[in-house]
Amino acid sequence: MKKPLTIAYRAVLPFQYSAGRMGSRFFNELRENKRIMAVKCSKCARAYVPPRPVCGYCYAPCEQWVEVGPEGELIGYTVVTFSFLDPLTGRERPVPYGYGYIQLDGAATRLLHFIDETDYSKLRPGLRVRPVFKEKREGNIADIECFRIVS
Amino acid sequence: MLDHVEPVVLSSKLEIPYNYYAGPIAERFYNEIAENRRIMGIRCPKCDRVLMPPRGTCGRCFSDLSEWVEVGPLGTLINYTIVHYREPIQPMEPPFAYGLVRLDGTKEALLHLLGGVDPSEIKLGMRVQPVFREDPVGNILDIKYFSPVSGG
Repeated sequence: MKKPLTIAYRAVLPFQYSAGRMGSRFFNELRENKRIMAVKCSKCARAYVPPRPVCGYCYAPCEQWVEVGPEGELIGYTVVTFSFLDPLTGRERPVPYGYGYIQLDGAATRLLHFIDETDYSKLRPGLRVRPVFKEKREGNIADIECFRIVS
Repeated sequence: MLDHVEPVVLSSKLEIPYNYYAGPIAERFYNEIAENRRIMGIRCPKCDRVLMPPRGTCGRCFSDLSEWVEVGPLGTLINYTIVHYREPIQPMEPPFAYGLVRLDGTKEALLHLLGGVDPSEIKLGMRVQPVFREDPVGNILDIKYFSPVSGG
């Protein structure tokens, strides 16, 4: 039997958005100085990373910039072994890869990012991790390639 | 207090590849275009109309359809629009035109690209013909576009 006709289609939807006043400073610092910047609530002093203009607890403005990390603590993690379509590339991200919540030193919030470890026996909550920066940084969150366990 | 910051514009995209089976009716439609450069419709004997693109069931009377007929290749432009702005997803550089083409032998119209014509020269009711791809792949863009029939 002849192979049935298949229609192949690729929907590509490119878009741009403004990082805003706080996001812009955050990404500029990443790109230029490899510094991870947070912003502190003027009332409760929680340090938000990524930065945001208003505290989610107090609704008070966040004004004071502080550097956080670069090291932090692994709070939770998973190893992704199921390959699925990454909408940013339209391709499957090669598996396995580690993924986890990182609380940077000095920050009140957690970042979700890639972990440079896929062996469960080497992963546990509370591990110290540090960011691995890209050589050629472009001013976006991928300027941090991943977090690596501090041995 | 606002410090000056260099504004950052982030570029992102969603890219979603997928495949689907054309099904027996659309498969024949595309194969006829690719192999024989013929545009086929399918006739509903009960409603006495030719569906193009063809489909297996009449949307009006729900009859099963199997009576294939060739339509066109010439047709009449019954409506069009000219696109003046540039978007990454668009198939041509602006200005370009989309047209509704009613091929001879059917009352249905096909939405497709218009080409080989300066957009300012496009007129309602003009006669058009399909321009086929030289290396057909089996989809609707095996017709590259419709262009005016030379000599009117």
